[in-house]
Amino acid sequence: MSPILTVARRELRAYFNSALAYAFIVSFLVVCGVFFFFVNGFFAANQASMRLWFGLMPIVLSVLLPALTMRLWADEKRQGTYELLRTLPFSETQLVLGKHLAVFGLIGITALASLPVPALCSLFGRFDTGVIASSYIGLVLLASASASVGQLVSALSKNQITAFLVSVLVLLALNLTHVVTTWAALPSWLAAMFNWLSLGYHFTSFLRGVLDTRDVAYFVFLTAAGLYLAVKELRFAAWR
Amino acid sequence: MIQAVNLSKRYGSFEAVRGVSFDVGSGRVVGLLGPNGAGKTSIMKVLTGYHRPSSGLVTINGINVADDPLAVKAMVGYLPEGVPLYVDMTVGEYLGFIAEARGLAHADREGAALKAMGACGLDGMFDVRIDHLSKGYRQRVGLAQAIIHDPPILILDEPTTGLDPNQILEIRSLIRSLGSQKTVILSTHILQEVEALCSEVLILNEGRIVAQGSAARLAEQLQGDERLDVVLSGARLPESPEESLESRAGILAAERVEGPAGRLRLRLTAPAGSGDTAAEAVFDWAVENKLRILELKRERLSLEEIFVKLTGEDTEA
Repeated sequence: MSPILTVARRELRAYFNSALAYAFIVSFLVVCGVFFFFVNGFFAANQASMRLWFGLMPIVLSVLLPALTMRLWADEKRQGTYELLRTLPFSETQLVLGKHLAVFGLIGITALASLPVPALCSLFGRFDTGVIASSYIGLVLLASASASVGQLVSALSKNQITAFLVSVLVLLALNLTHVVTTWAALPSWLAAMFNWLSLGYHFTSFLRGVLDTRDVAYFVFLTAAGLYLAVKELRFAAWR
Repeated sequence: MIQAVNLSKRYGSFEAVRGVSFDVGSGRVVGLLGPNGAGKTSIMKVLTGYHRPSSGLVTINGINVADDPLAVKAMVGYLPEGVPLYVDMTVGEYLGFIAEARGLAHADREGAALKAMGACGLDGMFDVRIDHLSKGYRQRVGLAQAIIHDPPILILDEPTTGLDPNQILEIRSLIRSLGSQKTVILSTHILQEVEALCSEVLILNEGRIVAQGSAARLAEQLQGDERLDVVLSGARLPESPEESLESRAGILAAERVEGPAGRLRLRLTAPAGSGDTAAEAVFDWAVENKLRILELKRERLSLEEIFVKLTGEDTEA
């Protein structure tokens, strides 16, 4: 466990040494706040519900999370520290999990920093705290799966900007595949597949206050798959 | 301690290392010498477990690097080419991270960092951010990083590149003192560095070992014939100095070359290792002919010339 923490601590330190961590937290809160209160019309809707705020998450995280994950491997390769890291006695699994843990930690900090939003809204009416709790659980799971995809893309890239753009595209695609089912009359098995693939589809049930093990399993599976493939890529790179 | 058997490394279709075998005993300082692209760095990347060999076997302390790269990484301290560092950290933070990564106990980390800093001439730099350091100091941080866990094996890729002459001397004396307790493999393209530091040399060209042995012996062997360039003055310059000189001990051939007006300029060839004898012979000959020596220059072959020789012989063979 301790080598994973060593990697995670260094990565978190790098996030806070550069302004990246603060920039991420602030832009997350500002973007979500602006859309929630002004664009989506929280006050006009006259409903004490955070549903619209959480509904922004799939798109907002698709664009903002790659800013955190793009540097994870691509920047190490550019700086040459990749070689340093890979000749220290860390296993590939420890490195990948450590970096994931760092992103996960920053997501946790961001989620905590967003708590004033539901607290503020509760001034206007009674909230279902159960729904808020399940939505936060969904948010963390969604972010974890997205971060794992982002890390995989970064491991496959040599350039941070490429990693960023590709991650945004992949995450947007993964978040929106279920929309296809509303456009076209698909055979039910195909529609079910598109729905199953979609991050956004699985996320919506958390917003209704439903903790379905199938949805939790999907996010856990996607996180594990992304990290597993990143480990494979690191192992494979030594043979090239 | 370090053994390579028929080691090859291909990158795509490019074969960087082609069937290299060597055996490095414990407590030796071995230099990998060769021009750019000779395969020095590729060999080091395989020895440190960073890259896997395409074929062949590398064992370190009896452990196959391909089977257990983690065990090998734990035993080795490595200074990669170009000295990659986390420049957003201070020297203390960085060395603390390395110490932690190397599995040092929490209480020992700062002590180990300070000790390594002392050995590398980094005293007082603990709280300086690495991106504020000059290239020479970054090199020292890279070296401190490599020795912080007191590894039995040190692998240093071009440890003195980009340093000024004073820094080069300091780093060399550090490596020399480390070499008394550790096995050190270093790469360089500077012949004097090998002579100054290494007990053994592997000379590489185009991925192959073209010569290996003790530094002194190789240097002598590769030097080949020595050349002396002499300029003399005198009231009466001899008509044909070549004949009388060639009969002297230590001189293989003498040739008169064009020199300044009223001077005699000669180019002499002496067999390897008898440059001293030839120089003495020239002096005696000059005295006997009432000539005075204005200039006596002994030329040694540069590494580049040695390479041309080595690789030229290779293609002829």
